[in-house]
Amino acid sequence: MKVLTQAQLNEWLNHLAERFTLAAPVNVQGKLLYRQVDDSSGIAWGFERTDMSPKTWTFPATEPILIIEQGAETRLDDAPAPAPTVVFGVRPCDARGALAIDALFLDKEPSDGQYARHREATTLIGLACPQMWDSCFCTVVGGAPNSTEGLDLLLTEVDGSDGAAYAVQIISEKGEKLAAGMPGEEKGVSLPKPRLAKGLPTLPASQEWKAQFNETFWKQVTERCLGCRACTFVCPTCRCFDVRDEVVSRQPGRTVLQRLRAWDACTSAPYRRIAGGHNPRPTQHSRLRNRFYCKFMYYPDDFGPLGCVGCGRCIEACPVNIDILEVIAGVEQLAASGSS
Amino acid sequence: MSALEEQIRSAARQYLENGDVSVVIGYERGPKGKVRPAFVHQADDAERLVWSPECNLNLVTYLHNYKHSPRRGVPVPRVAVVVRPCDARAVNLLLHEQQIKRENVKVIGVTCAGSEVDGELRQACTVCQERVPVIYDVLVEPEQPVEVPEAQDDYGDVAEMESWTPGERLEYWAKEFDRCIRCYACRQACPGCYCFECVAEQVFPHWTSIALELPEKYFFHVMRAFHLAGRCVGCDACEVVCPMDIPLSKLNRMLAKEVEALFGYHTGDDPETLPPLATFSPEERLRL
Repeated sequence: MKVLTQAQLNEWLNHLAERFTLAAPVNVQGKLLYRQVDDSSGIAWGFERTDMSPKTWTFPATEPILIIEQGAETRLDDAPAPAPTVVFGVRPCDARGALAIDALFLDKEPSDGQYARHREATTLIGLACPQMWDSCFCTVVGGAPNSTEGLDLLLTEVDGSDGAAYAVQIISEKGEKLAAGMPGEEKGVSLPKPRLAKGLPTLPASQEWKAQFNETFWKQVTERCLGCRACTFVCPTCRCFDVRDEVVSRQPGRTVLQRLRAWDACTSAPYRRIAGGHNPRPTQHSRLRNRFYCKFMYYPDDFGPLGCVGCGRCIEACPVNIDILEVIAGVEQLAASGSS
Repeated sequence: MSALEEQIRSAARQYLENGDVSVVIGYERGPKGKVRPAFVHQADDAERLVWSPECNLNLVTYLHNYKHSPRRGVPVPRVAVVVRPCDARAVNLLLHEQQIKRENVKVIGVTCAGSEVDGELRQACTVCQERVPVIYDVLVEPEQPVEVPEAQDDYGDVAEMESWTPGERLEYWAKEFDRCIRCYACRQACPGCYCFECVAEQVFPHWTSIALELPEKYFFHVMRAFHLAGRCVGCDACEVVCPMDIPLSKLNRMLAKEVEALFGYHTGDDPETLPPLATFSPEERLRL
């Protein structure tokens, strides 16, 4: 396995930054966000879990998906193509999050053109977690702190003779291409075992969720929900969006519009409001419950993967401490008491 | 259990046992020990309620969930709510704005020694002189009186920003709003933000783009601050809940200071004086 020293990794990243848009965890006024860096010195080395997931690079919070020119005739153009991008420091859970989004946007026809272009243009370099942090529960939803799923390369920090060193696992063809010309030397190293969290619940199967849909449990869990969108926006798998055609410029005889897509959230009241003002999910209870059912029943039933990778960000971001692990444990308990 | 906690629990128990209210809104501890809002429906459950300086939200915001009758023929629910002095002024705000009826709300007022965020006393609490809520049905008091800090310039914290040029302010807020994700946690946590349809989300007319980018964030936060001028009670719940730690209280306090200077009005101090933007007096013209 190839092993890089910190200096070699820095040098390689600097080289990548010249060829690609290089995104990595950056400390932005105390918050860890995936932002573009000019070189490796801008990276928040030693980061644990970032505050936002790298989803921002493959499914941006806002982007045009179509350019519309209205004049004597109407012209439709694709939105500008995304620049070739390398995201460094992707945690294994977040890479599995990208796979979960692929299941809807890529794996089922019709595929989402703009999302496909992003995925095509983006290479994900993972950084294995040495341990599960506070609120982490990747192992509950089929992941692991050192999972390679969805990544192109995975770096694992190993003891170097002189400070940090990184062992490189090449996962995909894309990763192999990127790693060509990477410095470092071939060494026989054994990868450290990550430290796992204990005392986590077991995820009930989707039919168990189905059986608990009308339980009063949901009223208790959701009563304090404020109806904000924080949990869904920090989530690496939440993928709902709103679309609107907005005017970019207007001249006599010629109007340019862009079809804009921006993140939306099922936890907020207007999300499900339909023409005429009717809202099929009229209560906060029905809205927040939907978020959990989407993750653990609707999405896996319809598209395959779970809609949750156990990053724990929603637990940390929730202003009123709605804890998805407590919800999983609650459903587990209900299922156990129902079947006994 | 502290003396405050015991009094809160006993008040909650009594209200529920007597059938005065159907729910008591207070705080409990979550599975990892974090303090969070609690809704107690049964007298036996009152034991869940806790009180500590970590109780830093404004629970009055939940009263909006109980304003209406749930079904035809069912009366508007009666609710008890645990408040700090700043939160209590939000009760007055909602009374002014005719959002709630006094007889439907029981106020459990807590003598406050200040709230903490991440183990540190909230900036506003370091200068706050209020210890006893301006409105309550039950007053929760500690055994020892709570110390009041010496009076100092209430708005010392925004003085620096006032000295900035508009350009400098723009630059400062651009940097802060840069990491806003437009999650609306600030709005949802605010007892004064209760429009059925927020300007930021209105479709007809479409005031602002759906984009989650800097111009929209500016629009949203500045619009929200203006809509709270003379209405913000300074509880800082917006800032406390912000997942991106944006110092939103600074915006609100700048405007609160203006309103105080122009109209001599401090939000929610008493249930009679109407907020300046809800009334009109001919003298105002002269003062402006």
